[in-house]
Amino acid sequence: MDENENDRREVSQEKMFTLKKWNPVAMWSWDVECDTCAICRVQVMDACLRCQAESKKDLYGKQDCVVVWGECNHSFHYCCMSLWVKQNNRCPLCQQEWSIQRMGK
Amino acid sequence: MLKEKGQLRFEDKWTYMRPIVLKLINQEPVSPSEWQELFYDVHLVCLWDEKGPQKLRDYLHKDIILFIKQAQTKVLAQRQEEALLKAYIVEWRKFFTQCNYLPTPFRQLESSLQGKTTAGSSSIQGSNIKKGQNDESIVRKLMLDSWNESIFMDIKMRLQDSAMKLIHAERNGEAFDSQLVIGVRESYVNLCSNPEDHLQIYRENFEAAYIESTEMFYKLKAPEYLAENGVQAYMKFADQKLKEEESRAQKYLEVGSNGVIQCCVNVLVGQPLPVLLAECAPLIKAGETDRLQLMFRLLERVPEGVQPILKELENHIVQSGLADMVAAADVITQDSEKYVERLLDLFRKFSKSVHEAFSDDPRFLTARDKAFKTVVNDTKVFSLELNTGRITGTKSVAPESKCPELLANYCDMLLRRTPLSKRLTTEEIETKLKDVLLVLKYVSNKDVFMRYHKAHLTRRLILDASADSEKEEDMVEWLREVGMPADYVNKLARMFQDIKVSEDLNTQFRASTARHDAINIKILNAGAWARGSERVTVSLPVELEDYIPDVEEFYKKKHSGRKLQWYHHMSNGTITFATNGGKFDLDVTTFQMAVLFAWNQRPHDKITYENLRLATELPDGELRRTLWSLVAFPKLKRQLLLFSPTQTNPKDFTEHTIFWVNQDFALIKNGKPQRRGKVNLIGRLQLSTERSQMEDNQSIVQLRILRTQEAIIKIMKMRKKITNAALQSELVDILKNMFLPSKKMIKEQLEWLIEHKYMKRDDDDINTFIYIA
Repeated sequence: MDENENDRREVSQEKMFTLKKWNPVAMWSWDVECDTCAICRVQVMDACLRCQAESKKDLYGKQDCVVVWGECNHSFHYCCMSLWVKQNNRCPLCQQEWSIQRMGK
Repeated sequence: MLKEKGQLRFEDKWTYMRPIVLKLINQEPVSPSEWQELFYDVHLVCLWDEKGPQKLRDYLHKDIILFIKQAQTKVLAQRQEEALLKAYIVEWRKFFTQCNYLPTPFRQLESSLQGKTTAGSSSIQGSNIKKGQNDESIVRKLMLDSWNESIFMDIKMRLQDSAMKLIHAERNGEAFDSQLVIGVRESYVNLCSNPEDHLQIYRENFEAAYIESTEMFYKLKAPEYLAENGVQAYMKFADQKLKEEESRAQKYLEVGSNGVIQCCVNVLVGQPLPVLLAECAPLIKAGETDRLQLMFRLLERVPEGVQPILKELENHIVQSGLADMVAAADVITQDSEKYVERLLDLFRKFSKSVHEAFSDDPRFLTARDKAFKTVVNDTKVFSLELNTGRITGTKSVAPESKCPELLANYCDMLLRRTPLSKRLTTEEIETKLKDVLLVLKYVSNKDVFMRYHKAHLTRRLILDASADSEKEEDMVEWLREVGMPADYVNKLARMFQDIKVSEDLNTQFRASTARHDAINIKILNAGAWARGSERVTVSLPVELEDYIPDVEEFYKKKHSGRKLQWYHHMSNGTITFATNGGKFDLDVTTFQMAVLFAWNQRPHDKITYENLRLATELPDGELRRTLWSLVAFPKLKRQLLLFSPTQTNPKDFTEHTIFWVNQDFALIKNGKPQRRGKVNLIGRLQLSTERSQMEDNQSIVQLRILRTQEAIIKIMKMRKKITNAALQSELVDILKNMFLPSKKMIKEQLEWLIEHKYMKRDDDDINTFIYIA
């Protein structure tokens, strides 16, 4: 009976429901305005066409094929853009001179 | 020597030669000197007497005829069949042996007769060596022809008749000396001097007679037996007789004489074919594998004989399979384990009978597979409505079998920690998963399976509920092996990779701060997991809300250029519930948490539906569903929350319905309330709302349309010009690992592509398409 009284006391002191474990789930995605890369026409969340072809069945987990933003705020696969600028140093969407604002990580 | 030319006459020499020749013909002993003498004399005669060779041949002929006449008398003296045969064979063998000896001394004669036109003897010698074979020798031919003309022609009918009578007697079970018949046959074969076709005489006479008598015998016997003993006994009879005739033919006929078996098959199987075929269906129905095996052996011998059994087998599997499903409809539509087990039982049963009755003959395996396909994809028992939710006029979608959904459910039960997976050993689970893949082979809408499988996998990974993570990854590889489309499978593989990345991240997060023992974050790649639009808003209890900024702060330090979206409908946790009766751990969803924590400030209050809605900010549908799981959880005898007024359906909650915590909550075990315990209230983790379920269906239909267009273009690009029929079959081939495109859909997509100038119809033939680059 002692134990029972103990419990009662606990109940009155503690909250009725207490958190023991929480497993929250979140999804991340690139913070982009357009979710398709204008160069390879693949969604930026997926690896670009070239990367997909090269490493068909291997690790997708590590996002090696990152996204790059220009000063114009347009975004592309980094792989796609680095090939593009070799020919034409302008943003394919707005024709402004291309300079990297930031890279995805 | 020259002087003697002209003086040496054949007649003089013949007197010396003849006795030796006669001895040879009669198989009497000849001394070596006599043997040599004969060679010499033949040589002399041929060389010195111009007419010698011709004469020699004629005289020899006369003596041979004489001998044959004697032999004939001896043979014909026999009245009785067996004795006649015996006598004939004795004489024939003697004569035939001589055929090998007598020609030897007369080689020179042959050179002379043949070489009349050729000049030098050396070239004659040469040509002789070239021909060399004594079956081409003139003397031998002379001997055989003589035998043929003078004795054989006269008695061949008697010989044949006698032989056939003996065989007839043997068919009726009497024993006799088979050598007699064999001897006769040999004489027929050896007698033939036609170098082109040694078997001519044999075939035209002996074999023909044999076939005729065989046919006569069974034409009488077979219908009689059938009438007396019935089909099943007759099958055994026919099979046995065919075997007997085969071995008999081997004994009595030359190799390559297939006519008689053909004839037997025709009489024994071909004639009563309708009766036999009528027996197939009942035998298949009764599963009499032995008899079916017999039937198969028989019918296989006649052209088109197997076709009807194939049809019967297919019909039977489809009918009894579907009947079985319909009969068990109540159980199997609810319970995917029972459904799959039942399907597999069915498969095993029929595969076994195909194996036992038809020795896995490829034609029967195909029929079986075709039938399985029909059963698996049937929509009578249950169908999956791929309803897109909007009325799109012509674009209504035909219902499809629910089989892939149930298969995916079953996989989930095997791969998740469930009572089923706990009960089974690793090997058993592996076998069962392979079984699922076997059934999957027959499913035509495989894309539906993949969708459900992915949803289940998502749940397992998010709830950490996999029974065996190794098996999970094996399964992905097996799916790849059975030919599921690579992009589907890659997506699954990507989820595994991603969950590992997330685990690492969680470890780092927990190492970065001391106060987050209670939290276990999963931050996943939206590209691999999520269908963007389906987030549900909720106002988190402060206990949870507090963690969010910390996590986001941490994540921002690790990564840049990323945005986070919380998927609270997927998140979950464990809370401790302290009541009057004890303390209980509850596994709950975050939504359930949000609802329950509303009572923490006012444990004994009764709260209206409306106030709970304001507190949680959950959408109406979600709140109703969540509350229902707390007031009427099927596994609980005492529910967590109580409510009033009583309703039987969450839809009937009004904004005034009141809810309160059941202070007497307890887990009941063996009829007794427990003081401690753990219970899982998550049930099936909800991945999507009703709205997105509809979007899901729509996306599957949409995806199929795109895939079809894509495949048509692929084919057109390759072929440039193709007929409708060829296009359809190539299309099905490309798409069959995902789904079976309906005729209607193909037509619609063709029209669409034509309208949008990807291709056109041929001006001369509207059933041919041309690719437009």
